[in-house]
Amino acid sequence: MIKKFIGKRVMRNEDPRLLTGQAQFVDDVEIPGMLHAAFLRSDYAHARLLSIDVSAARQHPGVVAVFTAEDMGDDWFPGPPLVSPPPTAKDVTFHSRRQVPLVKDKVRHAGEAIAVVIAESRYIAEDAVEDILVEFEPLEAVVDLEKALEVNSVLVHDDLESNLAAQMFQQKGDYEAARQQADLVIQRRIVIERGAAAAMENRGIVAHWDAKSQHLTIWDTTQAPIPIRNGTAARLGLSEHQVRVIAPFIGGGFGPKIMMFYAEELVIPWAAKKLNRPVKWIEDRRENFYATTQERGQVHDVEIALSRDGHILGLKDNFLHDTGAYDPYGLTIPLNTQSHDMGGYDIKNYSSEFKVVFTNKTIVTPVRGAGRPQGIFVIERMMDAAAKELGMDAVEIRKRNLIPPEAFPYEHKIIDQAFAPLIFDSGNYKAVVDKALDMIGYDKFVKEEQPHLRVDGKYVGIAIAPFVETTGVGPYEGARVTVEASGKINVATGIGTQGQGHFTSFAQIVAEQLGVEVNDVRIVTGDTTEFHWGTGTFASRGAVVAGNAVHAASSIVRKKILKLASKVLEAPEDELELEDGQVRVADIPQKSVSLGELAVLANPLRGAVEPGTEPGLESTAYFGPQYGATAFGTHAMILEVDPETMMIKIRRYVTVEDCGTVLNPLILEGQIHGGVSMGLGNAYYEKLHFDENGQLLNASFADYLVVSATEMPRIEVGHLETRSTLNELGAKGVGEAGAIPVPALFAQALENAFHDRKLEILEMPLSPNRLFELLNEEKSR
Amino acid sequence: MKLEGEYTFDGTREDVWKMVRDPQVLATCVPGTQNLRMTGENEYEGEIQVRIGPIAGTFSGRLLVANEVPPVSCTLTVEGTGKVGFLKGRGDVALSEQGASQTLMKYTGEVQIGGKVASVGQRLFDTVSKSMIKQGLDKLNEILKTSLA
Amino acid sequence: METTLQNVFDLAVTVNGTRYEQAVEPRILLSDFLRHDLGLTGTHVGCEHGVCGACTVLLDGEPVRSCLMFAVQAHGREVTTVEGLGTIDHLHPIQEAFQEAHGLQCGFCTPGILTTVKVFLEQNPNPSEEEIREALSGNLCRCTGYQHIVDAVQLAAEKMRK
Repeated sequence: MIKKFIGKRVMRNEDPRLLTGQAQFVDDVEIPGMLHAAFLRSDYAHARLLSIDVSAARQHPGVVAVFTAEDMGDDWFPGPPLVSPPPTAKDVTFHSRRQVPLVKDKVRHAGEAIAVVIAESRYIAEDAVEDILVEFEPLEAVVDLEKALEVNSVLVHDDLESNLAAQMFQQKGDYEAARQQADLVIQRRIVIERGAAAAMENRGIVAHWDAKSQHLTIWDTTQAPIPIRNGTAARLGLSEHQVRVIAPFIGGGFGPKIMMFYAEELVIPWAAKKLNRPVKWIEDRRENFYATTQERGQVHDVEIALSRDGHILGLKDNFLHDTGAYDPYGLTIPLNTQSHDMGGYDIKNYSSEFKVVFTNKTIVTPVRGAGRPQGIFVIERMMDAAAKELGMDAVEIRKRNLIPPEAFPYEHKIIDQAFAPLIFDSGNYKAVVDKALDMIGYDKFVKEEQPHLRVDGKYVGIAIAPFVETTGVGPYEGARVTVEASGKINVATGIGTQGQGHFTSFAQIVAEQLGVEVNDVRIVTGDTTEFHWGTGTFASRGAVVAGNAVHAASSIVRKKILKLASKVLEAPEDELELEDGQVRVADIPQKSVSLGELAVLANPLRGAVEPGTEPGLESTAYFGPQYGATAFGTHAMILEVDPETMMIKIRRYVTVEDCGTVLNPLILEGQIHGGVSMGLGNAYYEKLHFDENGQLLNASFADYLVVSATEMPRIEVGHLETRSTLNELGAKGVGEAGAIPVPALFAQALENAFHDRKLEILEMPLSPNRLFELLNEEKSR
Repeated sequence: MKLEGEYTFDGTREDVWKMVRDPQVLATCVPGTQNLRMTGENEYEGEIQVRIGPIAGTFSGRLLVANEVPPVSCTLTVEGTGKVGFLKGRGDVALSEQGASQTLMKYTGEVQIGGKVASVGQRLFDTVSKSMIKQGLDKLNEILKTSLA
Repeated sequence: METTLQNVFDLAVTVNGTRYEQAVEPRILLSDFLRHDLGLTGTHVGCEHGVCGACTVLLDGEPVRSCLMFAVQAHGREVTTVEGLGTIDHLHPIQEAFQEAHGLQCGFCTPGILTTVKVFLEQNPNPSEEEIREALSGNLCRCTGYQHIVDAVQLAAEKMRK
């Protein structure tokens, strides 16, 4: 069947509102009588709280309340664990320590909330925060991952024996045996540091308790409105039906907005109910740098074993993962790192142990990529080291090890972040790599152009990095599709949306099934009164999991439409077609009935309904994949470095993605462009600098450099489609793909540019300064 | 953050020492000092107004003098807190005679900062602290020269 | 409520063609005044220190960061916000171009970009890609990687030249 809507560059339904300033974000919510909150946060990364004196703040004109942990009484308890350790895995250590609403005894990271002031205006609240007097006993901060695990290290959590939060071992085959067979074994230490998600919209929450109706309404910048509703109801002793959580338009998520519950999410609804007044809290950018979760910090000790002809015999990767002060997100990120450690390569023997470490730094939860960029950086750095040692071509060694098309489904015999077996369902990896090579003109550049450029004294490098992305994990999402009497379609789903274009891509799926125009489909996401069940937008799963639920529900509605229309039009179902909002008899177009008329007929006001039928043209359906669909892609770049200033210019940037069925190429390209820009930040611009006392030293956009329009190259996007076998749409996720291979690609291109300098990059992110240092270290060696 | 430097005063070691140990003189020399009170033999309390880039605020804190070897050396410990964060520092100061009428001061120390001054002001902290030290020492030298004149 | 408005200033300002006269505290930022006093929430605040550009509005036709200005500084002057460009039913050509070229994702930075681009295209109706990137360099966007924004500006320039 030729698809009419799926796969088309359809303009987005949501744009006119966003473009005219009419889209509602959390900070746009205004309620009469609303109060404003500001938090007192710790200046220390690690300190015992000796006393808090809030009396002056309470006296401040315009202040309505000041709360500390003590004031919360029995309502003070830590946030819920989000992700428990895998129930099936053996030998797992996991110490769950969750974030608290307000610090009671000990501060565990700079920026942790200690008290909240609630006042008539935000200006007053912020003034009064400065009136709070706190006495601290500063403690030595735990910052470095390796030192944190030393026997005599200071403890982040005093009740634990060490700063070890979790430990887990996974293996496939027999690495040690493979190592014995190897012609070459390479060992490296790879260090990856933290970056920020830096969504343009900071977090925010508005809570409104209506005492008369006994309903609590919360507007929250969350990627997971339904779990927030469920958890808030449980904490406040309310029924889930008394709590409505709305995630309206969200100004970018990128992971941290899936974290729940943030301290503010624990405090603000509680305070609103207690004060019986609406309360708004909007994070400022500095708070965002401290109090919003971050990611990436890992230290890897890697070993790769190869045969002389460049085949990988085995990989061993023991690594430390920084979880910050608490570990609400369990093992998700390090499991993702393990799942991507082998890239898209056929590696039969793998051994990996990770240790998750508590430090006195901001909490770590997934940020776009979520452990995947680290895994890809590790394997791709090792591939480059191996190619150099073996005197092989960087492309050839990769091609030689790619999983061949006939090997799918390819089972890795380890578990992934969802504790499901890591299985790559489908793919044609070599074709993707070839297409990327072709698009960038790899051979021609290397043979003809690069030598000339080098003669001219230019430092120009080329690189190619293949990668996998596990996506679309369970457990499930759902959707309800309804044909309304107007003939328009209403769709409700439980996930939140942060700019991914769900209002359009989901509408395309429905339009395809029901033969209506895309802008006749109204999508509602992120409002818990509209849909009761769901988990959230994470792990590149929106289009895959919720998309397939939308597809399933609209397929059922289509059947209902055909059944009813068949009766009305007195024609067999297989002779009917759905088009332009009408059901028509195929050969007699004048014999037709509109969807609106059918919706009315399906919901009669009088008369009898046949037993066993449901009213209306509506269906609710769920989709839960057996395991996640795995996408594949390859990026290639040509980079020029100014050897004096270390400033870079990206001459070409090519991506080829195979994310299965493409719903909307326009949206897909946008996702990839954005991912690459974040990846480029992770490669060369964005590093959170913590000093040895756990102080973050670049907590502003003046010092933390988010990539701007002038640093971004034009990206050439190519596609190949290998349908996923795991869902009807054949879709695989792509939301994080753009970011994943960039640091690995960038490092390879730099080494290639400085081919005469024996530069080896074993860290990310770099910076112009750091690159200069590395080149000088190399000189002095 | 480490601080290190030296400065040549136009006066004898005894003169320099006497001046450095006089809180009234110190108070006029450290830029932004609003108040410096002696609270013990080797202990002072006071307030200092600091501006580092976009961050401005008052720190109140204590200054301790230890390991005193008059007129040769001492160790200074500073602790201050304010609405824009905190700072803690420790420095060793040594004076040596430089000819008949000059004195060389060498200082090494370490400063820890936290809160807004660290997260937003860090980039400028180094420059600001160096310039504050220079200003302070220049002023001291002025006073020294005036008093000897 | 005990809060007393101290030193209130009688502000008179024209926003998107409508004249407002209102008493404001001198310390109220222009961004807060537009968003919370006038309810013009299209102007977004992303960093509060003048780097991200989301809060860009036009003051007498020139782009300014409304988070770095006090409302009283706009006294007697004319402000244009994103709400002053086009409406949902009648998009401004720049807005149309942004929809057609997919020049926005979450849409948070978009209002500041639209106001910036409006002035840019008035001054440079036929810009090169490099000039467009330069003009956008003061506006951060975390979603798009800027490429579709650049495309949208080119498309808008075309539309406006016609």
